[in-house]
Amino acid sequence: MIEISAVTHRFEAARGKPTPANVLENVSLTIEDGEFISFLGPSGCGKTTLLRIIDGLVLPKSGAVVVDGARVTGPAPSRSMVFQEFNLLPWRSAERNAEFGLELNIQKTSKSKRVSVAGDNLDKVGLKGFGNYFPHELSGGMKQRVGIARALSTAPQYLLMDEPFGALDPMIRELMQIELLKLLGNEQRTIVFVTHSIDEAIFLSDRIVMFGTRPGRIIDVVDVDLPKPRWVDDEKIKASPEFVAYRQRIWRQLKHELQRADPRG
Amino acid sequence: MSIDQAIRVSWTASLKETVWGRHQTAVTRLTAVVLFLAFWEWAVRAGKVNPLFLSSPSLVFEKLVEVFADGSIWPHIWASGQVAALGFAISIVIGVPIGIAMGRSRFIRDTVEPFVMASYASPTVAFLPLIILWLGLGIMSRVTLVVMGAVFVIIINTEVGVSSIDRRLIETARAFCANEREVLLKVIAPAALPFILAGFRLAIGRVLIMVVVAEFYASTAGLGYLIFQAGANYDTALLFTGVIILAAAGVALNSAMRALENWIAPWRSAGNE
Repeated sequence: MIEISAVTHRFEAARGKPTPANVLENVSLTIEDGEFISFLGPSGCGKTTLLRIIDGLVLPKSGAVVVDGARVTGPAPSRSMVFQEFNLLPWRSAERNAEFGLELNIQKTSKSKRVSVAGDNLDKVGLKGFGNYFPHELSGGMKQRVGIARALSTAPQYLLMDEPFGALDPMIRELMQIELLKLLGNEQRTIVFVTHSIDEAIFLSDRIVMFGTRPGRIIDVVDVDLPKPRWVDDEKIKASPEFVAYRQRIWRQLKHELQRADPRG
Repeated sequence: MSIDQAIRVSWTASLKETVWGRHQTAVTRLTAVVLFLAFWEWAVRAGKVNPLFLSSPSLVFEKLVEVFADGSIWPHIWASGQVAALGFAISIVIGVPIGIAMGRSRFIRDTVEPFVMASYASPTVAFLPLIILWLGLGIMSRVTLVVMGAVFVIIINTEVGVSSIDRRLIETARAFCANEREVLLKVIAPAALPFILAGFRLAIGRVLIMVVVAEFYASTAGLGYLIFQAGANYDTALLFTGVIILAAAGVALNSAMRALENWIAPWRSAGNE
């Protein structure tokens, strides 16, 4: 369980500039185990910063994040990140990238075990036979598959995904959403998924947390009650009246928030 | 003309085209060099230049064969090679750690950078009289001059490699709980390696220059000494022989370093001077 209580964060002002609005202001939220939760909002609403705070890469100015009863003071192996820009090490093959987390002191694993775990995870994400390819030889979608395999290698309870499909073209993006749900299957893993695509959030999530901007804060939380597994008949689900109703409702709220924050767009 | 013949003719034509296309650069270069050497040979033989001041390609070639055949060149190659290798090795041992420290710590960079930049920009050779004054005419002086000529380009390239690393990769390693040492060894070092190797490649050129200059003044052996003596004795064939050996060494080392760079870092080739 992830408990976020009264998190407030701001970045230091550049010299000579006025202090910027808080990136996050008084954000509280509880994320249950096994839940797929999305952070949805416009750019600059602090959703990515909150994800980093949950991981421990950023420490909030005030407030706290508690994961499984322990306060977050830095990254931990129970949480893995998937990044928008993939962030693969260019000098490592897909296989060597996928075993990166297991090589580190914190959970030193034997070479043979690392290779087998990395191989399994590459199979899982659909990259069987691509282990020896280098990042520059892979397409964007394939790179992110490696990124996901790398994140899974440490068997994390929490998978933190920062706009993981944001850099992919729209068709590959939809395909990756289906593959992600397929991959997660029945695992009781908790996913925190940052996105600014309304459709993506509805299709993937159990719960959507909507963020507003200036200051970054939660404006609403929506439970998504659509049949599962959703990847089996994704076209039908995306065309269903319930799906459309969710989209309408969420867009109305976000549109209102955007117009309030900056009427010029 | 039958269709068969037509195909054969056009096939031959396209073969010619591709052979020419593929080797165009090499053929042009070779032709230019051959013409240049032929003109040079002719100019000397026809008495257009005084042979006392300019040898001819054929005489240089003869000399080249001779000095290798009688083995008289080896002590000189050995003497120069020793200074070059020692100076290059010391430059690496000093330059890489300083470059890494400058790339990692702003304080160290701000402290050291003025000295590095001033030394890099100044003509190192100007320090030779001072070095001789301090260290005498032995090998120490020559090695010191080589190090002064080569170390700064290594420092600068290492620093650029370390400080230009993609911060997101460091953050990624941190997210997987890498400690400081692991960040340095598994992210920063491999990311900086192509820059460091490019620094080595650029340093090699400077090493050769410094070896020769140092041997002009502070040596009794070596290719620089040989060239200087040959000049003093109007032996231009021997002089060119020394130059050719140095040029060959420079080209060979440079290509070897390039091959090493491409082999180690095929995803990127970097290099600044």
